[in-house]
Amino acid sequence: MKLIVEKVRKNFGERTILQDVDLTIHENEFICILGHSGCGKSTLLNMVAGYIFPDEGEIKINGEKIQGPSRQRGMVFQDHALFPWCTVLENVAFGPEVQGMPKKQARETAREFLGLVGLEAYGAHYPAELSGGMKQRVGIARALASHPDILLMDEPFGALDILTRDMMQRELRRLYEKLHTTILFVTHSISEAVYLADRVVVMKHGVVAEVFEIGIQHPRSFDSPGFADMMARIERLLMEDEEEVIV
Amino acid sequence: MNEIQTTLSKTGEAAAPALQLNTVRKRKGTGLQSTMGMIKNVIPYVLFFVVWELFSQLNGRIQMFNPLFLPAPSLLVHDGWELAQTGIITDSLLASSMRIFFGFACGATVAVLLAVLMSKFSMLERWMSPFLTLVSPIPSLALLPLFIIWFGIGEFPKVLLIAWTTFVPVLVNTVEGFKSVPSTLIRSALSLGASQRQVFTRIMIPSAIPNLLIGAQISLGLSFSALIVSEMMGADSGLGYLIVDARNYFKVTNMFVAIILIGIEYSLFALLLKLLERKVLAWRRGGIGEAVEKVR
Ligand SMILES: Nc1ncnc2c1ncn2[C@@H]1O[C@H](COP(=O)(O)OP(=O)(O)O)[C@@H](O)[C@H]1O
Ligand SMILES: [Mg+2]
Repeated sequence: MKLIVEKVRKNFGERTILQDVDLTIHENEFICILGHSGCGKSTLLNMVAGYIFPDEGEIKINGEKIQGPSRQRGMVFQDHALFPWCTVLENVAFGPEVQGMPKKQARETAREFLGLVGLEAYGAHYPAELSGGMKQRVGIARALASHPDILLMDEPFGALDILTRDMMQRELRRLYEKLHTTILFVTHSISEAVYLADRVVVMKHGVVAEVFEIGIQHPRSFDSPGFADMMARIERLLMEDEEEVIV
Repeated sequence: MNEIQTTLSKTGEAAAPALQLNTVRKRKGTGLQSTMGMIKNVIPYVLFFVVWELFSQLNGRIQMFNPLFLPAPSLLVHDGWELAQTGIITDSLLASSMRIFFGFACGATVAVLLAVLMSKFSMLERWMSPFLTLVSPIPSLALLPLFIIWFGIGEFPKVLLIAWTTFVPVLVNTVEGFKSVPSTLIRSALSLGASQRQVFTRIMIPSAIPNLLIGAQISLGLSFSALIVSEMMGADSGLGYLIVDARNYFKVTNMFVAIILIGIEYSLFALLLKLLERKVLAWRRGGIGEAVEKVR
C-alpha cells in the first residue's frame, strides 16, 4: 500500500482551503495530521476517503487515482457515526455483509473484531446504551472489520474526556502494534500526535508547514526522552506568527 | 343508589380500552405497588363518570334543562345495549373501520413510495415541492363537497378523502426524514463498501422511519375527522352516519353512544400505531422517562 497526495488544492467557493499539499504515506505507517481547527485537516482526509475531490493535483492509492469511497479506506469519525438502529454486533458486521459475506460468517467476523477492542460482551446492545469511549471502540472495530488498507481517523477521540482519551490512545497504539494497519490520524492535540505517530504532519493555513519524524521508542509517555522537546518544537511552529494574526 | 353503582362498573368497563392507552407506558412495579398504581390511574376516569351520572340524575329531578339533552351514563349503557341488539353498532363499527383502514393504508403507502422516488430523483422533487406548498395548507375537509360532486356518495370519495388526508403529512415528514439523514452515516456506509442501493435500503430508510411514524400519527388524527365528516355527508353506514341519523330522530342517547364509540375506535387505532412504533423503534432510548429518575 502506498498513498500519494500530490500538489493538491481545494477551494470552497472563492476560498482556497488547501493548496500545494504533498504527502506520501507508506505501508504500515502511523501518520498524524496536526493543526489548528479550521486549517483544512478534515478536508484533506475527506479527499483521501473519496467523499470530495481535489480541484487541482491528484491523490493516488497504489498508483490509482481515488474515484470515490471504497472499503480499502476505512473511516472513523469524531461523532462515531454508528448506525443507531443496529446493535453493536450488526454495526461491526455491516461491512463484511454489504461486501457479500454470508450473514452468519459476517457475524462471526464481527465477534472477532469486537473481541479485539474488548467489547465481545456488548454485541447485543444498541449504540445509545454505550459510553463515548465504547462507541468509539465499536467505530474502530467496524472500520477494521472490512480489512481496509488504510484507516482514516478524523479527531476520533476529540469528544472524549481526558482520562478516556488517554486510555483510547493506548488502546489504539496497542491495536496498531498488533495489526500493523496503516493509519492516517487527524488531531489538534500536540501530545496526542507525538504520543501516537511515527511522523507528524503539521498543517498551517491550508499548507503543510513541516513534517516531524518522532522516532521515540514505544511505549511513550510524557517522560520519554525527547517527548517534551518534540512537543515544544511543534508548539513553537504552530504558535509563531499566530500572534501577528491576532494583532 | 345500588342501581347507580352497578351501572357505573359497567361504564367503567366500556372505558377500559381508552384507559389502557395511558397505563401501558407505566413501568411495572412489584405486585402490590402496581395494583395500587392501577387504582390511582383509574380514579379520575371513575370520578368523571360518577360526576356525570350524579349531575344527570340531579337534573332529572330538578329539570334545570331538558334531561334528554344530557343522558346519564347508566341510560347510555342501557340504550347502547339495546342499539347493539339491532346489530347497527357492529355494522357501523365495521363500515368505519374498513374505510379508515383502507384509506389510511393507501394514503400512507403512496406517500412513502412517492417520498422514496422524490429522494432518488431530484427532478421529481423540484416539481413536487411547489405543488405540495400549494395543496398542503388546504384542510382536506374542504375538498369533500368537491369529491362528492366528482365521485358521487359511494365508498370511493370517502376512502379517497381519508387517503388524501393521510397522504400529505406522511409525505412531507418522510421526505424531511430522508433529507435529515446524518451525512456521516452515509459516508461510513460507503467507506464500508456499501453500494448506492445498499445505502438507500440500509441507511436512508431506517433513519427516515421515525419521521414517517410522526407523519402517520399526525395523519391518524386528521383522517379520523375526515372519516366522521364524510360519513355525516351522504352515507348510509358508519359512526358518523349514526350521529346524523340520531339527530334526525332526536335520539340524543344514540348520539352519545356514537361519540363514545368514535373515541374508543380512535384510541384503538392510536394504540396499534404506538405498538408498531415501539416495535420498530426499539433501538431508541431517551425521553423524559430516561432523563431523570424519580426519587422514591
Ligand atoms: N463544505 C464546505 N463548504 C464551505 N466551506 C467549508 C466546507 N467544509 C469546510 N469548509 C471550510 O474549510 C475550512 C477547513 O475546514 P476543515 O477541513 O473542516 O478544518 P479542520 O478539520 O482542520 O478543523 C474551514 O474554514 C471551513 O469553514
Ligand atoms: Mg475537522
